[in-house]
Amino acid sequence: MVQAINVSKIFGDVVAVADVSFSIGPGVTALLGPNGAGKSTLFRMLCGLTPPSRGQVAILGSDARHDREVRGRIGLVGQEEGLFDRLSARRFVEIAAATHGMVDPARVAAEVLAEVEIDPDDPKPVGAYSKGMRQRVKVATGLVNDPDVLVLDEPLAGLDPVQRRRMITLFHRLGDEGRCVLVSSHVLDEVARIGSRVLVIAQGRLTAAGDYRALRNMMDDRPHRIRLLVDNPRALAARLIAGGTAMAVRVEGESVVADTLDVDRFGRSVAPLARDAGVRLREVVPLDDDLESVFRYLVERR
Amino acid sequence: MTGVVVPRRERHPVGVVATFVITYRVFLRQIVTRSRLVALGVLGGLVILVGWAVGVSGPTTKHPEPLTRGVDLTINLGLTVVVPVVALVFAAGVLGDAREDGTLVYLWLRPLRRWPLALGAYFSALTVIAPLTIIPVVVSAALIDNSSDLVVAALLASAVAVVGYTGLFVLLGTLLRRSIVWGLAYIIIWEDIASGLGRVAARLSIRGYAGSVLTDQTGVVVDSFDLSRSWGIIVPLVVAVVAVALTSLRLDRVDVA
Repeated sequence: MVQAINVSKIFGDVVAVADVSFSIGPGVTALLGPNGAGKSTLFRMLCGLTPPSRGQVAILGSDARHDREVRGRIGLVGQEEGLFDRLSARRFVEIAAATHGMVDPARVAAEVLAEVEIDPDDPKPVGAYSKGMRQRVKVATGLVNDPDVLVLDEPLAGLDPVQRRRMITLFHRLGDEGRCVLVSSHVLDEVARIGSRVLVIAQGRLTAAGDYRALRNMMDDRPHRIRLLVDNPRALAARLIAGGTAMAVRVEGESVVADTLDVDRFGRSVAPLARDAGVRLREVVPLDDDLESVFRYLVERR
Repeated sequence: MTGVVVPRRERHPVGVVATFVITYRVFLRQIVTRSRLVALGVLGGLVILVGWAVGVSGPTTKHPEPLTRGVDLTINLGLTVVVPVVALVFAAGVLGDAREDGTLVYLWLRPLRRWPLALGAYFSALTVIAPLTIIPVVVSAALIDNSSDLVVAALLASAVAVVGYTGLFVLLGTLLRRSIVWGLAYIIIWEDIASGLGRVAARLSIRGYAGSVLTDQTGVVVDSFDLSRSWGIIVPLVVAVVAVALTSLRLDRVDVA
């Protein structure tokens, strides 16, 4: 549904996006990258707001910059703060619905505002809203046209934890309905909750794409770190080293922290080793099987 | 990914008239701010005050007749300052401000044709600019000489200037950032100084054509402004049409924040 082929964007001497290619289908995909990595520029190119300097972008097989029909099937929640500040939320979203040709824009506006938990009858202008409320109004404008592709640039910024959770639930529901939902964030724990499918971008380059747990397993040159909670850590540590199951171990209180390059073999061996050593194994916890580790590795190479 | 079939909301293509009406209303609402209205309303009030002061001052050696004093003031204050400056502030802001503050995306990323959007922007600016400029210029002229010739001439000339300048500055707002600064430079250097220096320069300025309408209607001779009334009306109209067309093309190519 969304495709980028060797896309680059250059502003003067600055390469904002460099030779990025990917293709994504229905469901929720998170675009992860630090601030200034090129996420917003990539989104702007996908939606046709700015043309790529090189390469091609396509949404639903077409370039939104030149295809009016495709523009009607996109919902964009941009990062910019600007809204029609003197309008009420209902009027603002109603205009969005009218410009998409929705039948009965007032009803559609009320429905999508209710979806993001904004009172459609609130007469206050959106200029008087808090950042979180403005953010939700922006999401509502992105939903008015029942988009096939929904592009959200840092949509959780300014939301409180409860609103974030509800918004993420909404994204998942939209993804389950067969829409392509592309969400950017620089906050790792947000991305981990948004979806396991990630595109990682750093310094304008796409450094990885796929399920982040699968990405972690592909990092063969980096040992996996696992914590084992046991009643006799020294005994188990000795067995792990002697058997070559772990390349390094550290004893921390009642835990053994082990590094291994072959996590599958480690998983198969650790229980028999503990049994043979007479050690009671209480808990096995992977320490770097989270998105942060993947991100740190991909972006910072550490 | 398994897709759940969800009924989609009904929609229809957005027609040209609907696009025009929506964008006209949105832009009109956006450009009319209290501070702009007050500042430019004060400017209009000053023009009326100057007209009254000149009217009660009586003849001068340079302008013994009220009619020539009225033409002089209309050209040098109305057509040189009031109309272009007010037109610049509102017309350059209509799409320029939307581009700068990021709200253009709410109309740009839509299944809308560009030309009715450009037309909506143009007419929203015209709706504000026309009363803020034409009324003070005409009242000021009437305070100097209430003969129907000068009043009609001031009305026609300022209307022609409003039509031309509005088109030009709406386009400018989509072409350049800091369009107010560039627009002021254009008004001072070209429309004010250059157009008064010769016939060719006058024919390349809106003021030259509006001034010609004024002189043709009143019969007062002013160097450089010697075109017929028809040309004085037609050329600014053509400028406005071409400017809206170019604005529409520009909207297709513009980078949206």
